[in-house]
Amino acid sequence: MIKNYFKIAWRNLLQNKTFSLINIFGLALGMTCSLLIMLWLKDELKQDRFHANDKRLFRVMENQYYSGEISTFASSPGILAENIVKDIPEIEMASQIIWEEQPLFTVGDKFDKEKGRYVQKDFLKMFSFRLAKGDAATALGRPDAVVIAKKLADKYFNGQDPIGKMINIDNKENVVVTGVLEEIPELSSLKFDFLMSYEIWLKKNDWAKEWGNNGPRCAVMLKKNVSVDKVNAKIKDYIKTKNKESNVELFLQNYGESYLYSNWENGKQAGGRIENVRMFSVVAIVILLIACINFMNLATARSLRRAREIGVRKVVGAGKRQLVAQFIGESMFVSTIAIAVSIVLVLLILPSFNTLTDKHLAIDFGDPSFLLILLGLTIVTGVISGSYPALFMSTLKPIVVLKGLLKFKSGATYFRKGLVVFQFALSIVLILGMIVIYRQINYIHNKHLGFSKEGLLYMPLEGSLGKTYMTFKNELLKQPGILNVTSAQSSPLEVGSSTQGVRWPGKDTTKLILFSNNPITYDYVKTMGIELIAGRDFDQSFSLDTMNYLVNEAAARKIGYKDPVGKELTMWGDKGTIIGLMKDFHHNSLKVPIEPLILRLFKPSWTAEGGYWGNIIIRTEKGKTKEAIASMEKTFKKFNPGFPFEYYFTDDEMMKNYKSELTTSKLSRYFAFLAIFISCLGLFGLVMFTAEQKTKEIGIRKVLGASVGGIVGMLSKDFLKLVLIAAAIAFPVAWWLMNNWLMDFEYRINIGWWVFVVAGVAALLIALLTISFQSIKAAIANPVKSLRTE
Amino acid sequence: MIKIANLEKTYRTEEVETVALNKLSFEIKEGEFVAVMGPSGCGKSTLLNIVGLLDDPDDGSYQFNGIEVAKFNERKRADLRKRNIGFVFQSFNLIDELTVFENVELPLIYTGVKGADRKKRVEEVLDKMQIMHRRNHYPQQLSGGQQQRVAVARAVVNKPKLILADEPTGNLDSHNGSEVMQMLTDLNEQGTTIIMVTHSEHDARYSHRIIRMLDGQTVTENILV
Repeated sequence: MIKNYFKIAWRNLLQNKTFSLINIFGLALGMTCSLLIMLWLKDELKQDRFHANDKRLFRVMENQYYSGEISTFASSPGILAENIVKDIPEIEMASQIIWEEQPLFTVGDKFDKEKGRYVQKDFLKMFSFRLAKGDAATALGRPDAVVIAKKLADKYFNGQDPIGKMINIDNKENVVVTGVLEEIPELSSLKFDFLMSYEIWLKKNDWAKEWGNNGPRCAVMLKKNVSVDKVNAKIKDYIKTKNKESNVELFLQNYGESYLYSNWENGKQAGGRIENVRMFSVVAIVILLIACINFMNLATARSLRRAREIGVRKVVGAGKRQLVAQFIGESMFVSTIAIAVSIVLVLLILPSFNTLTDKHLAIDFGDPSFLLILLGLTIVTGVISGSYPALFMSTLKPIVVLKGLLKFKSGATYFRKGLVVFQFALSIVLILGMIVIYRQINYIHNKHLGFSKEGLLYMPLEGSLGKTYMTFKNELLKQPGILNVTSAQSSPLEVGSSTQGVRWPGKDTTKLILFSNNPITYDYVKTMGIELIAGRDFDQSFSLDTMNYLVNEAAARKIGYKDPVGKELTMWGDKGTIIGLMKDFHHNSLKVPIEPLILRLFKPSWTAEGGYWGNIIIRTEKGKTKEAIASMEKTFKKFNPGFPFEYYFTDDEMMKNYKSELTTSKLSRYFAFLAIFISCLGLFGLVMFTAEQKTKEIGIRKVLGASVGGIVGMLSKDFLKLVLIAAAIAFPVAWWLMNNWLMDFEYRINIGWWVFVVAGVAALLIALLTISFQSIKAAIANPVKSLRTE
Repeated sequence: MIKIANLEKTYRTEEVETVALNKLSFEIKEGEFVAVMGPSGCGKSTLLNIVGLLDDPDDGSYQFNGIEVAKFNERKRADLRKRNIGFVFQSFNLIDELTVFENVELPLIYTGVKGADRKKRVEEVLDKMQIMHRRNHYPQQLSGGQQQRVAVARAVVNKPKLILADEPTGNLDSHNGSEVMQMLTDLNEQGTTIIMVTHSEHDARYSHRIIRMLDGQTVTENILV
């Protein structure tokens, strides 16, 4: 019996090549899309989950309270790990982890900047990063230890055993190689080419030793069978036991979980990457559904043609169940062919998809979970697409179909039309999503930040530049293409530090208010292109300016000064005067509102020992960026010979902050295109079928004098109506979805009514184009011929 | 074998009500060859469909081999049908995507006959119908007469007790028509009961008895043998 089904299915496929192609190709496209998304999802869900101690690893999080609002951070005091592991018996191990840093490595005459992390001695015992050489238990034990990636071992030691060898860091201290890392797993979100003893970092960052300052991350590993809730209760007020003034509460978040759930709103978990995971899961399902609907629709429409076969089978003894099995079997057969095609497509697309998503996804046929996905996808697709045609066809009455009396009941027709509407509604939602995301990204890119980011470059202020900055600046200013030079602790795009240590006369001391702050040098306002509303910039001719402040409008509002220039302000105990009011500019991502900001000059006492630090910011002359960079490099090499020359364009770096949105934008474009394409494939098939079915009617109408235009109109009208209905359903849904998405951005576009018009008209035009090919073909056919075929 | 009493069937559309069978009663014994005649719309085909268990009556009784089947559900009807009844249609109703062999094999598949046995039985019947040489051809490659022979072969391959033929020669020329009628006569002589709906007096003469219908009722019965 199965052989018989298979035969019929195969011969039906061959006999109706156009329909078969539409079906297989449509399903294959849908499946390709789903497969790609599933590969991505699988990867996302497994990120950071490979550590053997996964269930016991946590990062310590802080809830900070400011005027009734809770802000949640992953940073904590730099001495938390060593203390908490002593004080809380349930914690077995703990380690501070520093963000990625790029110190200068020098071995003999080789030098380069390397990316890595500073961690503590138990780090390699807690996390499953393996060592190719050295002992994970002791490698980070000594205060001058460094563990390096294999590629660094090759780079600096030419294949010699690096263990025990010295590396000079930042032209200052020497460290000893105690281990060589194996490749960092793809599934680790923590990436590094070296791990260095935390003590080296802490020595240079005294501020991190205070309980009131936050920065370093802290990870802990709980003892076996310890309840997290119990530990959470114990550590909640831990910081307050060390620092009476603290407003901080601690809690633990599972380390593996934190990759997908990293956003917090007012102390509550508020998603993170998991939202993308959810969104793309929905997209995968939607596109597959659209492809399945094609199959359902075409199969049901074509059932008129197969009706006789069904009748005969029933007459010779086929029961309903056997017929359902036959048709589900057939769709399963088609979905098997489609999955084979889609595997080929996935293999072809995967390299570009990897570039787009910044992943290293691969198909592994030896991976049982992947095979399970394939099998599941085939079965689900087969059953969904085969179910309705199977049920519809198996209930046909044999006497009706054998006498050729079969007409579609209005119920079946409505169902089919409903499917087309559903399909197009989904496509229109995707088109609208695509337009809105695209516009928002564009908006971010083009938004005036309050300073002019074009032609603004920055480079790290490091090595001997710290001490020679002033001369370096003067030298740079003499070079062609360079207009202004300044420096600041933070990059132009992200002012990372904030403080509660700000006082002014009349301040309510019970309230904690957080101010962003950024130590700068002269010419900052001029170089950045920030607008001054009142007062003046820092000026070398005013010797007291090192005690003075510039504030933005947000800060003035927070303080409560209407006209702040000339008013008193104290930061970290330094009493001074506000000398200028800056118009608000974006000193952080557009996802957050503009925070109150205080700018002050580096205090001479801060720079007395090690000199300046942070970033040198350079304004280049329009059209002369190339010359400017060339002269920057020449000057840099002269001043800082032991360091590689590097620089960043502010606008490029800004777009990197929106990488995930950019990827979403690109992906949404591809998916929307695919969805509409698959829908059109189905529409094409349906119109083809309708034209075929109406051959006689068209013939008669033409004989009676109908024009080609009239016939095309007759054939197109019904389908266009469906697209319009779909648009009416899609608009509110899309509006709601996109409005929600935009809520993530503090600064966002208005969706605007014209977007709907564009999407609706686009869908209509695309549908019309699809329909017209078949309907014109039917309309210009010779009526004599079409009547004879009846 | 077939006992029908007060059979009623009415077709309704939104505006029209058509009475197809109106308290129809008759009996057919095993081994009989009965022709049913009458003008278009008199209810012949409806009768055949009900007797063939393809349709159910609105009212009345239908006993097949002594069992009341008028109220059988679809599954039971399908089961009884595939074991006892073979069909021959005016328009042959072969499946275009299957070869001659596969078309004839179909009823055996649904009654669960094993592969080797199926092959033997299909070949036997194709041989008997003299279309063995066409076994691998598709229906479109055959003449009308050949197609109807395949249809007859399909109807008899399961060795049914009853064959229902709905104008079996309607689409055939007189030569092919006579051949098909001869086949049915041969089958009848071997013991198969046959009920045939026809417009042709010539074909009707092959039968033992003619039932003439008008407006859903029998008007006369002619016994020919």
